[in-house]
Amino acid sequence: MSKVVFSPARINIIAKNTFLEAVRQKFFGFLVIIALGIILSSQVFRDFNFGAPELKFIADFGFGAIVLFGSVLAIVATAQLFFSEIENKTAITILAKPIFRSEFIFGKFLGVSLLLLVFTGMMTVILSVLLFWRETAIMEGVDPEAFEAGRMVAYGDIFLYGIVQWLKFSILCGITMVVASFSNTNLYSVILSFVILLICHLQYLARDAWAQMEFLPVQLAVFMLSAVFPNFQLFNIGDQIALGESIPFELGARIIGYALIYIIVFNLLAVFSFRKREI
Amino acid sequence: MTSAISIEDLTKDFPLGFGHLKLRAVEDLSLEIADNQVFGLLGPNGSGKSTTIKVILGLLAPTRGTCGIFGTPSAEVSSRRDVGFLPEAPYFYRYLTGFELVRFFGRICQVEKSKLNDRVHEVIEWVGLKEAAHRRVGTYSKGMLQRIGLAQALVHDPRLVILDEPTAGVDPVGSAEISSLILKLKEQGKTIILCSHLLGQVEDICDRIAILNRGKLILEGELRDLVSKKDLRSVVVQDYREEYNDELAGWLQARESRLVSVEQPQYSLDRVFLEHVGRSELAREKLSERAEVAKQQDTASGKDNEEKKKSS
Amino acid sequence: MNWKALVVIFVVLFVVGLAVRPVEGPAWDELREREPSLRLADLEDALGQGVTVGLLGGFRAIVADLLWIRTNVIWEQQETAVIPATETMIRLVTTIDPRPVYFWLNGARMIAYDMSVWRVREAGDYGNIPDAAVRRYHDEQAETAIRLLERAREFHPDRPEILIEIANIYLRRMENEEKAAEYYRIAAEMEGAPPYAARIHAEILRRMGEYEQAYEWLKELYATLDPGNPAHQKQVVLGRIRELEDTLDVPLIQRFQP
Repeated sequence: MSKVVFSPARINIIAKNTFLEAVRQKFFGFLVIIALGIILSSQVFRDFNFGAPELKFIADFGFGAIVLFGSVLAIVATAQLFFSEIENKTAITILAKPIFRSEFIFGKFLGVSLLLLVFTGMMTVILSVLLFWRETAIMEGVDPEAFEAGRMVAYGDIFLYGIVQWLKFSILCGITMVVASFSNTNLYSVILSFVILLICHLQYLARDAWAQMEFLPVQLAVFMLSAVFPNFQLFNIGDQIALGESIPFELGARIIGYALIYIIVFNLLAVFSFRKREI
Repeated sequence: MTSAISIEDLTKDFPLGFGHLKLRAVEDLSLEIADNQVFGLLGPNGSGKSTTIKVILGLLAPTRGTCGIFGTPSAEVSSRRDVGFLPEAPYFYRYLTGFELVRFFGRICQVEKSKLNDRVHEVIEWVGLKEAAHRRVGTYSKGMLQRIGLAQALVHDPRLVILDEPTAGVDPVGSAEISSLILKLKEQGKTIILCSHLLGQVEDICDRIAILNRGKLILEGELRDLVSKKDLRSVVVQDYREEYNDELAGWLQARESRLVSVEQPQYSLDRVFLEHVGRSELAREKLSERAEVAKQQDTASGKDNEEKKKSS
Repeated sequence: MNWKALVVIFVVLFVVGLAVRPVEGPAWDELREREPSLRLADLEDALGQGVTVGLLGGFRAIVADLLWIRTNVIWEQQETAVIPATETMIRLVTTIDPRPVYFWLNGARMIAYDMSVWRVREAGDYGNIPDAAVRRYHDEQAETAIRLLERAREFHPDRPEILIEIANIYLRRMENEEKAAEYYRIAAEMEGAPPYAARIHAEILRRMGEYEQAYEWLKELYATLDPGNPAHQKQVVLGRIRELEDTLDVPLIQRFQP
């Protein structure tokens, strides 16, 4: 009998199936509608005739909606898809086939990551269209002086923002997968993942303040904490873009590189933890 | 020729909580399952059947012992290349149609792309779901789910098919249909392992059985031997010869009796099973139930015999 | 749960966390440079402001935006009764999110130009009350606005718009031409300053009778202007130089040669 070898084709099949399953969940549609509602609700700013600054308000709302609902989607969809496989015994059926567990994990990750890309992409495009439309209207009507130097919104940076957030959500998906691979319930995984998300957002405090701790054991503990968790503040570039500051290429490249490293690491850890899991 | 499955000294423990307490699900199990037969794996709930199957399929790692499929250790992914598995009460991706579902698993098993669609149609037709192939799995009845489950297990034409409670919750007609599909699989040269509580079905189709209780193998052998070995009260005559038939029938008729059939008497498998598992109360209940059924069957087969005689 | 696996996961993450610092470090330093609220001066900062910023993450801007809308709703009532509330809201918005210059500038405008008018109107309106009273209301509101803008300078030391705003308030509300000229000059000397700041500086000097100073300033300015940029209005500047030369009676031979 010939050996079964690692197959990207199988990963692709699992990913596609995971993606389709996720898209057909009511939860996804619900989040998309709410996020869209929030982005579009920035239209209330029109009533105030802020002029050009209206664009900043729209961008703030758009970025906020993407960050909030993208994070929720990354955690809940990952945990949900993972545990539905186990609870519905589809995982048993699949893993009883000639397939490596790593293929299963990578496939699940790629499926959810694709879902997150669709979500982030959709929101970014809608936000850009809305900004472009309002910018044109304000340029031609309310506040032409503000646009002497041409268009104010850096659309390229908005797409960079979309990419960076998508990568951050993908790390979050990887984290949730590691958590799900050793925990027994969906709810526990979701809660623990949200706690880790919070820690990652606060990691920079430990990262920048550990040396100031006076008591050596505390210093060591805080240092450990800062090294173990990734720094999610690094992805927080939306405010800068909304304020009209452009993101230099090297900074963008470093952030993307950092995200890719963590995506790979969390995927490998999920495989490691899931390898021995008894189904 | 290598066995379809060989299990040697298999023990599987599950840790209980944080202490060193362990639940022993399977203990020192050794089993050889030869190629091309229908093998029944029987046992009450919690007897270790499902655990054994999961170890065979590499879903669980054994605590001790070894397990292999056609000579390849279960720990290797390659061992599952020639296995089709229908889990108990399968619940598939509900939004896929039957066709898409079987196709999905076909691609996972790397059925050649050029042959995939034909093969999927073939197995769906074979399990009798041609009409429902393009309906969503979510709308399927229990019987249909079992049949689509069988189709996905067979899509890559495996040599070994493992069926976990394939007729659980399926009505008697559907159940009989699945039985006949299993027998057809055997005709195709496949090995079938059947886990079932429905002993009537097991009795009808299995060549060999093994009974597990509390993780231990307590009985294994040819079904026919097992059910006919026992000292049965329905043994009528010893050293019987076929030429006695007419004379005996006449002799009986003269005494207002009638020869219904001449056959080797058997206990019902239910009784063998329950006796060994030691649930005597349940056994008595079951026995009286079975006795009713047996009477009706006897009458029916008597008619059959008469008809056969007439035609010959 | 498998504790051994958990330990392995932590160790791997620890090693990766250290190994990835060369990629992350420079990016983090740059981001922190651009984002004052991420800089932690000391431990108290880390625990107070840091946690708030960290938790609010991308939502701080939204919170400030919503409070800004609330500020506008209150301001729309246009009466002295809402002055304390409006001023408090402006301070709150700029404290939560000091980054948008927009909040500072518009808050200062509300305080200097709108609130002073409300106060005059409610005291009997322009023309009916003594000039000294009008003067006092204007000055008081202007001072509050300038204090706000001086705080804005701490957050945005390199933004000329703030200085121009201060100069405007001195000029239009306090009629303090000296101060206005000074702030226009500082603004004009900053990078990214709008070209009109330099012209207004000269204009105020001229109005104050400082013709020499204005003339020197404009001559220096002229050399830096781009004839292709309509905002620079190079010809207008030259016209002003000529006017000043007439006023100063500069002999033809000594006149400015572009």
